[in-house]
Amino acid sequence: MTSHHILREFDKGMVSLKSDVLLMASLARQNLERAMRSLLERDLDLARSVIADDSDVDDLERKIDQAGIDIMVRFHPVASDLRLVITSMKMAHNLERISDHAVNIAKRSKKICKSFPLDEVGLAEPLYSLASKLLRDALMAYTDANAELGEGLKVRDRELDRMHKQMITTLSGRLETSPGRSENLLHLIFVARSIERIGDLAVNMGEDSVYLGDARDIRHEHSKPSPAPQGGSESDTPA
Amino acid sequence: MDANSQQPPDNASVSVQHLDFCYGSSLALKNIELEIPAHQVTAFIGPSGCGKSTLLRCINRMNDEIPSAKITRGGIQIDGVDIYQPSIDVVKLRREVGMVFQKSNPFPRSIYENVAYGLRLRGLRDKASLNAAVEEALVASALWDEVKDRLHESALGLSGGQQQRLCIARTIAVKPKVILMDEPCSALDPIATAKVENLIWDLKNDYTIIIVTHSMQQASRVSDNTAFFYLGELIEYSDTAQIFRNPSVRKTEEYISGRFG
Repeated sequence: MTSHHILREFDKGMVSLKSDVLLMASLARQNLERAMRSLLERDLDLARSVIADDSDVDDLERKIDQAGIDIMVRFHPVASDLRLVITSMKMAHNLERISDHAVNIAKRSKKICKSFPLDEVGLAEPLYSLASKLLRDALMAYTDANAELGEGLKVRDRELDRMHKQMITTLSGRLETSPGRSENLLHLIFVARSIERIGDLAVNMGEDSVYLGDARDIRHEHSKPSPAPQGGSESDTPA
Repeated sequence: MDANSQQPPDNASVSVQHLDFCYGSSLALKNIELEIPAHQVTAFIGPSGCGKSTLLRCINRMNDEIPSAKITRGGIQIDGVDIYQPSIDVVKLRREVGMVFQKSNPFPRSIYENVAYGLRLRGLRDKASLNAAVEEALVASALWDEVKDRLHESALGLSGGQQQRLCIARTIAVKPKVILMDEPCSALDPIATAKVENLIWDLKNDYTIIIVTHSMQQASRVSDNTAFFYLGELIEYSDTAQIFRNPSVRKTEEYISGRFG
């Protein structure tokens, strides 16, 4: 809703809630970007700063949850206002997990940086590039309550899943042929896993944005059974 | 209602059809089209002056008492019977369509007499039958346990919340089909409000309930369906969960979310 609420405090609370989510998103993206740069550029200081700064993201998650609860208790929001409060709290949860993955990547990066250079780190770059775009668009879907953009993320994440599988296959092969580098290759497999999970979290945020914009819950739709065909019988069902 | 009219299904549904209503030359309700299902709670919401109480009072013809007020088009049916047809006995209609007002208005008589009053008007004289009917109405209105030992004390000694439940008992004692409630909790504290709301949930099994309320929370808590009115027009009518989660009309969302009112 763009028009003003009759209670100024409500508008102030909602604006503050949304801007805290955007601040948290910016910090989580920054942490992810620095974690990846530390890996690709072998920069230990960057990795350390990511680990240190994660607590700012954690603090914001608590602040956003508290602000959301406060708005619900004081103002009983309904319709799109209620959806914005709930979605903002869910966004904060997902962003906190993204920042945790950035910390995981930074910790793996520290270990890789302390050893001999690992050529395979470059394999993570295209995954990161795609995950970063998914994350950017998930945030845009939330900011603009853009259900169409949010709903499209699930399909786009399949490409990230495919790239992740390919990278794991490649790294698994090299584990067999280069046993001396196995520890670092395993660290890199976990980095790839974190990037893949960040894509999943972007999809979650996209789904929440669909709820925000259109009040539709599209989560877990793939697991729902398809409706039975009209006039069909049990014998029509393939074994 | 007139027993000689057509035999409708006894399900206490209310149908408002293309209703225009005027106070003098001022059009207060414009082309209202509304099907209110039986044995459900329907809430009328909207800012002051939107016509919700006017429509409520059309359903038991309370507006007949206002000289310049009249329906200029359309009508209202209860169970398929046009309640504005000339053969309708308005006294009987109001027995079938009871009303609970914003301010509790018990008679300055005993608790017992308040509930028995309508029954006596209907010709019930037998003491045992009266006692049983009074007890049944007080039990149904969740007041019996609080007043059973002082039935013959003045009703004016009851608290505001108890007085309002007594008025509900008085209404249901004569077994109406429909109960109209015009902001029944606006003068009550939260505990008394909760008791009346619990009562509304219980009563809908036996009665069709229409409630006018200014409290969005109350509408969302107690009603199955919600109708939003603005400037004499029905803007949106839907099941309550839909109205409060994702209304279809922007004006509804602006009102329920506090953008005007």
